[in-house]
Amino acid sequence: MAGLLVETKLFRPRTRPGLVDRPRLDERLLRKDGTGLTLVSAPAGFGKTTLVSEWASDGAAWVSLEESDQDPVAFWTYVLTALDRAAPGVADDALTVLQSGPAPIETILASVLNELSVLPGEIDLVLDDYHLADSLEISRGMTYLLDHLPPQLHLLISTRADPALPLARLRARGELVEVRAADLRFTLEEVSSYFTGMGLDADAIATLEERTEGWIAALGLAALSLRGRSDATGFINDFAGDDRYIVDYLVDEVLDREPAQVRRFLLETSIVDRLTGSLCDAVTGQPGGRAMLESLERQNLFVVPLDDRRQWYRYHHLFADVLRARLLAERGDITDLHRRAAKWYDDAGDTVAAVHHAVAAGDVDHAADLVELAVPALRRDRQEATIRRWLDDIPEDVVRRRPVLAIGFVGALMASNEFPGVEQRLQDIERQLAGPADELVVVDRSELERLPSAIETYRAALDLIAGHPPGTIEHAAVALDLAIPGDDLTIAAASALSALASWAGGDIESAHRGYAAAAAGLERAGHISDVLGCSVTLADLEMTQGRLRQAEATLERALSLAGDGIRGASDMYVGLSRIAWERNDLDAATDYLRRAEELGAASDLPQNPYRWRLAMARIREAEGHLDSALNLLDAAITVYVGDFSPNVRPLTAVRARLLIRQGDLSAAQEWADSVPDELSYLHEYEHITAARLMMAQRKDAVPLLERLRAAAEDRTGSLIEILVLQALAGRDPAALERALTLAEPEGYVRVFVAEGEPMLTMLQRLRPASAYVRRLLDAARQPTRVSTPQTLLDPLSDRELDVLRLLTSELDGPSIARELVVSLNTVRTHTKHIYTKLGVNNRRAAIRRAHQLGLLTR
Amino acid sequence: MNHESAWYEIRLHGRLDPRWAAWFDGMTLRTHADGTTVLHGPLADQAALHGLLQRLRDLGLPLLSVDRVDLDQPQRKQS
Repeated sequence: MAGLLVETKLFRPRTRPGLVDRPRLDERLLRKDGTGLTLVSAPAGFGKTTLVSEWASDGAAWVSLEESDQDPVAFWTYVLTALDRAAPGVADDALTVLQSGPAPIETILASVLNELSVLPGEIDLVLDDYHLADSLEISRGMTYLLDHLPPQLHLLISTRADPALPLARLRARGELVEVRAADLRFTLEEVSSYFTGMGLDADAIATLEERTEGWIAALGLAALSLRGRSDATGFINDFAGDDRYIVDYLVDEVLDREPAQVRRFLLETSIVDRLTGSLCDAVTGQPGGRAMLESLERQNLFVVPLDDRRQWYRYHHLFADVLRARLLAERGDITDLHRRAAKWYDDAGDTVAAVHHAVAAGDVDHAADLVELAVPALRRDRQEATIRRWLDDIPEDVVRRRPVLAIGFVGALMASNEFPGVEQRLQDIERQLAGPADELVVVDRSELERLPSAIETYRAALDLIAGHPPGTIEHAAVALDLAIPGDDLTIAAASALSALASWAGGDIESAHRGYAAAAAGLERAGHISDVLGCSVTLADLEMTQGRLRQAEATLERALSLAGDGIRGASDMYVGLSRIAWERNDLDAATDYLRRAEELGAASDLPQNPYRWRLAMARIREAEGHLDSALNLLDAAITVYVGDFSPNVRPLTAVRARLLIRQGDLSAAQEWADSVPDELSYLHEYEHITAARLMMAQRKDAVPLLERLRAAAEDRTGSLIEILVLQALAGRDPAALERALTLAEPEGYVRVFVAEGEPMLTMLQRLRPASAYVRRLLDAARQPTRVSTPQTLLDPLSDRELDVLRLLTSELDGPSIARELVVSLNTVRTHTKHIYTKLGVNNRRAAIRRAHQLGLLTR
Repeated sequence: MNHESAWYEIRLHGRLDPRWAAWFDGMTLRTHADGTTVLHGPLADQAALHGLLQRLRDLGLPLLSVDRVDLDQPQRKQS
């Protein structure tokens, strides 16, 4: 999505010098501290943007919103990108999660807020034209943001309509600064200062103030109309005596005095949202657009520059509406203008705008062509919400003739979680395909062949969502049967769906086959990042099957496909770290995590932030640093993001194991009370954990373990652990014998040595001569690995180390301050020093660096 | 009450030239001696009504009233 950002939306508009100073407003807006929200709410033409642009500091995060930002992914992508540019690193993780698939907005914002709450500096965030983006889903995220707003973030919303946010609550708490139309209107004094030097007497000024009611847009137009006029008083009197809509009247006055060529340019180009020279040339059919725009800017005639390079402009919103209305009234038919705009946008590769103008031109078939061709790329960039919006623009009867377009819309509906009616659409498409071929409209004929298979794939997905895995497996099988060779994406999707359904049913073998087929299909299709996503799951399944070496090969092969630069590479290193950990090679395990960290957030799949912390927690636990491990696990829980896979190893269960090891059995028991009794593969890890708890409580775990063992016979990875526990709980050398036989070829170490002295004694007795056992004993007797001592040039002070430790928790800035009994400002100063000494600029990077340096292991 | 297609009368403060009719999707515009303008016409549904109100808002035109009118009985009904 990063490539698709409209840069001008993140540009803070330059303000024109020489406008009226407004100390009464500046004073109110100055109060940034202690303010939750600054709201500038007034109709168009009240000088909101100018005022706000002066309010915002240099380097403020600025977003000029548009209607398309009602889509939460678009909205938050712009907001988070703006924040991340203002304070590099604060929204890294959040953007990764946001762009990689559906995740609750609270999770995404929590990670940004966590960063912002300890930010040494301050950020102004301006959301201009908020009314365009205001929608139910946006309000939800914004309300969460407001409820957790850190004092470092100054939020300003500029809007034409009050936003659907808890304003009354903020007002009651004194956390809302409001600037409304009444405040923005020019007072008589300000009107007078505005017209200084134009030779108007006090009466004329008073008349202007009265007629315009201080409306700045109208005053601006009046000033334009007065330029070069000899009879100013006459003009003002005429104006005052007319009760026509004021902007209409004044625009007439201004336009009438412009040359016909300028007038025509203004009217014709008003149909586009953003103006640039070549686009204007295309729409008007005349050259000279760029020069015309520059001249309009010089004359301050309706245009607002959108960048520093005189490339992009827009008309002031109010005038754009007036110009468009006039164009419509004068021309009636403006389809030719829209058609030319559509062509320019299509050539420029901006499909969204091209479709908009094609629809406005009434060329729904052309619009349908454009959409149909744009679907694959948009789907790849996870822009299904954009496709979904077009469904409202293109009439159903057009869609009904176009099966390829129709299936594109089905995909968009599914991605937007709108499942009702999808089956009906699939049946419609099947009917179209069965009908006469010459009635079908298809831009790309080759797409037609893949539809039968795609239809069955969507049915497989529908069944999975409906909680009916057998149906998924059935439809996926038909889809694979119907798939045409070379349609690798459909083959991959059907295989992955079937695999997910098998996995949820505990059929690991089939799940593995499905994911392997999916990964192969994705690789052929060139979707390497998705191959890496599949590889995480494949390696996971292989470890469950007790095939450590195969898991290692899977991850290494995936890495070799694209190297370190691709999204998901970091996840491969985290996977390799887990394998090294199983072999008790803690140095290698740590080293892999360091490499994952060095790649940065851009190489993370959305699950990697929690997986990395989990992996680090395991290493710390192995080193005996249980507090540090627990801390990391809690952090992992706060950044946990699920995917479609069954959550077979819940973090709360991993945490319970650590509690058992720490001897906090009552806390572990509390966790165990929530575990369902029914034995199934999906709860296997939890049940093994429960058995561990029983052993710690000196209860008889043997019957439970025996049932678990019987159920786990085809999952060697699980089986080895269960056998180890059986050996300990039942003093059962035969179980240990079997565990060793299964574990030796794959080189498992950790599963034995983690059990400590009782296990070592058993091993020693059972097979004193075995080389494998000697290796296990040696590994266990190695002194606990000493973490690399702090090697900073400028070491952290004790107090800074205290703050650093709390930074690793989920506590926000104020809570950290409370914990240390200091002010938030003190925390921020410490944070600033910590960042400088560690050479980082955000919390996440500080924590990871601290872990690498072993600063947190005391 | 039927929330679908209906006729509406929307009263504004100020005089709006009749040439604005096209901008407001073919609503008829009538200006009155009291300095108000009434937009009158059919709207497909609530979404169309809100769309129209937004257009008025974007022009900064002060809204006085919105009424749904019954075609059979031409007098206004409060909505």
